[in-house]
Parts: sequence; C-alpha cells; structure tokens
Amino acid sequence: MAPLLEAISIGKTYPGGTVANDGVNLSIEAGEVHAVVGENGAGKSTLMKILFGIEQPDRGELRLDGKPVSFANPREAIDNGIGMVFQHFSLVPSFSVYENVVLGSEPRTGIKFDRQKAIEEVRALSEKFRLAVDPLPPVGQLPVGQQQRVEILKALYRNARILILDEPTAVLAPQEVEELFVAVRALVAQGRTVIFIAHKLPEVLAISDRITVMRAGKTVGSVNAKEVTEQSLATMMVGREIALRVDRAKGRGDLACEVKALKLTAESGAPIAEDLNLKVHQGEILGLVGVEGNGQAELLEAIAGLRAIADGVVYLNGEKLNPLSTLERRELGLASIPEDRIARGLATGATIAENLVATRLADKRYVRNGLLDLKAIKAQALKLIERYSIRAGGPGYPVGTLSGGNMQKVVVARELSEQPKLLLVNQPTRGVDLGATQFIWKSLTEARDGGAAVLLSSADLSELLALSDRLVVFYRGKIVAAFVNSDDLTAETLGTYMLGLSRQDPETMRAALQ
Amino acid sequence: MIELLMTVFSATFFVTVIRTTTPLLFATLGGLISDLSGALNVALEGMMLISALTAVIISVYAPWYVAVLSGICAGAMLGALMAFFHLRLKADIILVGFAVNILATGGTVFALSQATGGDKGTSINLQSKAVPAVNLSFLDAIPVVGPTLRSLLSDHSILSWLALFMVFAVWYFLYRTPYGLWLRGVGEYPAAPEAAGINVTKVRAWSLVASGALAGIGGAQLAMFNYIGFTRDMTAGRGFIALGAVLLGARHPVGAMLAALLFGIFEALAVVMPNLFNWIPGEMIQTIPFVVTVLALILFSYRAQRARQMRTLTKI
Repeated sequence: MAPLLEAISIGKTYPGGTVANDGVNLSIEAGEVHAVVGENGAGKSTLMKILFGIEQPDRGELRLDGKPVSFANPREAIDNGIGMVFQHFSLVPSFSVYENVVLGSEPRTGIKFDRQKAIEEVRALSEKFRLAVDPLPPVGQLPVGQQQRVEILKALYRNARILILDEPTAVLAPQEVEELFVAVRALVAQGRTVIFIAHKLPEVLAISDRITVMRAGKTVGSVNAKEVTEQSLATMMVGREIALRVDRAKGRGDLACEVKALKLTAESGAPIAEDLNLKVHQGEILGLVGVEGNGQAELLEAIAGLRAIADGVVYLNGEKLNPLSTLERRELGLASIPEDRIARGLATGATIAENLVATRLADKRYVRNGLLDLKAIKAQALKLIERYSIRAGGPGYPVGTLSGGNMQKVVVARELSEQPKLLLVNQPTRGVDLGATQFIWKSLTEARDGGAAVLLSSADLSELLALSDRLVVFYRGKIVAAFVNSDDLTAETLGTYMLGLSRQDPETMRAALQ
Repeated sequence: MIELLMTVFSATFFVTVIRTTTPLLFATLGGLISDLSGALNVALEGMMLISALTAVIISVYAPWYVAVLSGICAGAMLGALMAFFHLRLKADIILVGFAVNILATGGTVFALSQATGGDKGTSINLQSKAVPAVNLSFLDAIPVVGPTLRSLLSDHSILSWLALFMVFAVWYFLYRTPYGLWLRGVGEYPAAPEAAGINVTKVRAWSLVASGALAGIGGAQLAMFNYIGFTRDMTAGRGFIALGAVLLGARHPVGAMLAALLFGIFEALAVVMPNLFNWIPGEMIQTIPFVVTVLALILFSYRAQRARQMRTLTKI
C-alpha cells in the first residue's frame, strides 16, 4: 500500500540563493506520529511550508494517497485534508473559542452566522478528540496550552486527516506537554496522522512512532523511534558527536549580587513579585525556575534597570543599584542577555558590527570625539565573529538576515566580549539549534569561570538543570523552593513546586538560599 | 438661559438635532467599518465633500435619488481608490487618506467653478434639488400624543430614517453574519483569518469601499437636505469628528449612533445659539462641536484606562 503522504526529492531554493531543501524525501504512513527533527536551518520549516502549500517546491513531487498533488496555497492543502498548527498561533484574541475554530468556514442559515450550530460542533469535536476546551470564553484569556488546543480543533474542524504540529512543545510547561501528548495519541487512535516538528529529543522519542532526521537541507534518514537513543539521534542531526554536558563550577567566590526584600508591581499597580531575597556569588550560576509569568523575567528586568523597583534593594558588590540607570549599571559590570533577542537584544536593521558595539558607545576605543571609529568597530566585529563562530556574510550584514542561532550568538558575543561581574540571562537558547546551544552553554560557563555571578532563567528545565549550581523556584511572584543542584534533582521535582503543588519548609529553603 | 432651555426642549430643536446628526452618523458608520477592518479611514472628510458636490451637480439634471446614488458611488469609488493605493501599491493609509482630503478641498472648488461657470464659493446659481422629507401628518389622528409625535417624527429627511436603519444593518452585518466575523477578525489579527483561507486584502478593500459609500450618503444628505446646494469646505471637519465618534462609541454601531447624536446636539446648539446670544461671537459658538469632540475623547481614553486598571486588579 502506498504511504498516505509522500515527498519525493523536494528541492527549494529561496530568491536570496539559500538552498533550504535539496533532495528531501519524506514518507508518512497513515495513523502514525511522525517526527521531523533537525537543527535550525536544516530545512524542516521549509518542507512543512511546502506540504501546507505556503511555499511551492522548485523540484520534486508530493503524493497524497499515491497520487501526485500540488498545493498553490494553504486553502488547497486544507481542502485535501492537511492541517497545520504554527508555533505562533493564528487566533483572534477577542473572539471566542468557537468563533476562532469556525472562522472562514462558518455554519450558516441564509446569510446569518449560525452560532448555536458552531458551538455544538466545537463541543462535539473537543469531546471526540479529548481536547477539553470551553467553546465560549475569548481565546485571549486562555492559557497557551489551551490556545494550542483551539488551533488543533481548527484544523480538525476542517477535516484534517494529516495534522502538522510545528514545534508544539516549545511554548508549553512540562505538565501541559503531557496533556498535548494525550491529545496526540487520541488523534492517532481515531485514525488521524500527526507530523511533529521538534527540537527536544526526549519528547520526540516519547511521542513518535517514526523519526525523519534532516540536516543542511537534506534528509539524513528515517528511523523507528524504538530503535534509537537520544545520543544516536543527536549525532544524526548534527553529523558529529556532541556532548550536551557542562562542568559545574569548581567553587564559588565572594558574594557578588544581593537582592533584598524586592517588590515589583505592574503598571496598573498589581503586584508581580514580592519579598524576593537572593544571593549570587562570583563564579556560580543561579537558576531561576518557574512557569513563564511567575516573576522570573521581571526580576531580571528589574536588576538590569528595565523595570521600576517598587520596594527593596539590589546590591552589586556592595553598591546599591536602585538609583542607577541601565547604562550606569552596565558600567559597573552588569551584562544582560534578554529573553527576546529581536525585540530587546538587537537592532535587526543595523549591521552585525553596529550591534556588537551598541552597548559601548562611551568607550574611547570605538568612539572618539563623538565620532564612530569605523575601523576599530570593524576589527572588533571580525574578532568576535571569529571567536563566537557566527555564521554570517561579514560584519556589514544586517543582523536580521541571520538565523536565530546566529542572532543569539551576536547577543552573547556582545555581552560576554568583556568579562561581566553580573550576568543576567533569560532564555539563552530558545529557538536555537543544538550546535549553537552547545556553544552558548560553553560561553556561559566560561563567563562563570571568569568570575561572573550568573542569574539564569529558562523555560527549558533540562537547560537549567545542566547549567545551574543552585536553583530557586518561583510561583506567583514568590520564591517557594531553593535547591543546591545535584544529579538527584529531577525536572519532575521542580515541576511540582513550579505548579504550586508542594511547598518547601523554610529551613531547607534558607539553607539553599545562602 | 431660560430661552436657551425653551429652545432645547422644543420639537424644532429635536428636528434640528436629527438633521445635524444624520450626515455625521453615516460618516461614523463608514469610519467604524473601515476601522474595524484595520484600515483607518482618515479620508471621510474628503469623501463627504466630493460626494456632496457630485450629488448637487447630478441633482440639477436628474431626480434626487439618482443624485444621492451618484454621491454614494463617488464615495465608494474614492474608497476603491484608497484600497488600490494602500493595498495594491502598499502606500501608507494615513498618507493616502490625506491625499484624498487635499484632492477634495482643491478638486471640489475647481469642479464647482467649472460647473457654475466661475463661482468658486457656492453652487447658488445651480438649480439643485433636495432630498424629500417624510411627511407623517397622519400621526395627528392618534389621540392625545398624536400632535407631539408628529412634530417629533415628521419632516425628517428620508435619509435620516435610512441612517437609523443602517445602524441596525451594520450591527447585524458585523455581529450576525460570517462576513462581519471575517471583517472583525481581519482588523484585530489578520494572521488568523489568513491562515483560515480568508483573503485579507479583499476584506479590507471592500470595507474601504463600504466606508466610502456610507460617507458618500452623508455628503449627499449634507448638500441636499441640511443645506440645499454646495459651499466650499462645507463638511467643516465632520469627517474628523466622525473618526472621534467611532472611538467614543467604543467601536460599536449603537455606540457610534450615540456618539454621533452627542456631536449632533452640540452642532445643533451652535446653530440656534447665535440667535439667542448675539453678544457671543458666532465663531466662538461654532467651535463648540470641536471642543466637545476633544473633551469627549480625553474623557473616554481616561475612563478606558481606568477600566483596564480595574480589570487587571480584579484578576489578581
């Protein structure tokens, strides 16, 4: 029997000359969960866009049920029973769940939108596929995990037989990932087929039946999930052995940064975080654990000077940071790798060289008599591009033309080019491929060994567990647990504190907070 | 003061209010539709002005309803023109809108002088027609309330009744038909309808055309009922007041109607006050509707901000 969906030697070259797909083969059987893995820039997204009709292949052929097909636009793919859930949801925030699900294919009576029927159909779908969502509230008020279910329902409402999920777990907390997997299994049990794009190998191994690995625009091969290990998959993806392990700090130095009774409020006056007490020593990484939105990101912003402090004090090497501006704090040796590299970390329209010196415009080496020393700036850029192996055309290229991993390397290069005393890091490897992740981790530990006190926040628990020397858990703006990292500490333990399911007794917490 | 109150609470004043509100209400509904589709139509002013002149000139040669229709067409075509420049040629919508406004101020004067044979101020020597008023004298027959009802409801422009119907029609369209859902979706988060296979550009283009058509009826009402004939710059900022009314009406058709009524009341006041207070300069009185617009918008945004704060506070 022919496979349900087949892509045969697909080739796609973008107008800029980037070869995104070069002889890609993919074969999806009906009723399986098929994962497509690969580093960023390996061509997974392009392949999915071709399957969904957003892009057209230059070469090769798509076959559905053994018959050649081509999709000029997503509409045609949808009509052929293919649905896609993007990483960035396409939902109208103020519309209710059912309005979002039926948008574009509404049930009608005459010219009237039949709301009752829409609600019933959405209810029936969500029961059938065990995707529990209330059809009535506005989507904007739902947590991310539920919004994702709405997206899946949207595809199912259009009778998708094949569902493409583009990095679905990237935005979810561990418990939500479990729920998603339950839904995926329910889908497959009812005869649907799921294509699952992912980075995180443990998840891929947990959910998929077969795995296709891509590297540099080509398919490396397809394997059965049962027959591979995380390590062998990683090797296939990167093409060489990689070790995602880092050495812990050898020992910590003096107290560098202290946060005392810190309180943060939103613009509306609502409290975000209260009574935060932390100590970070030279040469250690303190991991901030928590589901996003529990105050970790805001703490980092407040220390960096990007957010007002409502009450409490932050000290860096004995100096009070509160009254200082962001720039003055940087002069004291503070460096910051922000969560959103595009919005806050970089000026995407400016060149790599300009971005690399953007925080040093008071520095005599790059600015003399109020004028930029272009030669020195270029020399510095060349040096950093080399040292951080940033893959780019040259220092004069706009940062926006780089891949996510290389953009992040530009941020890291800028912040770490001079040894910081206090380093704030938020989501250092979000949307970054394995090779770059490995490199960024190494850079962070080097900064640590150079004597920096590091505050690290990440949505990726394995990253926190790999890098941190100590960890504190945030829940609803408070620190609810603190741990000294060890091999016994698991993501599950952290998870129960992250969701507020258990509480640590004050003694244990105090001991680990020192 | 007593005289002012007497005037305000008279049936004649009510009729004046309806008359001043009608063009504003059409323009506001037009602004509402394009605003909800995500294309802010700052050209309502120019569209009204061009439609007003078109209607006046056509009414010289054709019946009133043909003139009104031609006004609607003029507005719709300007909407299509904006859609072409903004959506096809990717020009900034605000700049395109202002281009239409500038075209309107200059172009109408030019066209007026061509049509009248040299008069650049008014169309006074053109035999233009009026939109008929709806006579409801049969209401007199109702006992007790009959005469009052008649004095309130009779003698409004037929377009005023149409405006009332349009409030309902626009509401029904926006909130009860699939197309309204598309339009609101396109305005709020275009990526969503696009992913659902809806042609976002097409939705925006049609909403600009509808917006122009509505502004066009407003223009026709202005030059064929509120005033008979065209005067240069006769819209006098109504298109911009309408944009304010869209926001003040919380981007909802019924809200839009109430906001248009509010501005209509102050415009009517500016009409009757010069007779009562001849010691106040007429120009001062004429600024009232604009001052009220600014004040209303400040108050509205202040209250919206407070409401947002209250919401976030109660959530936590």
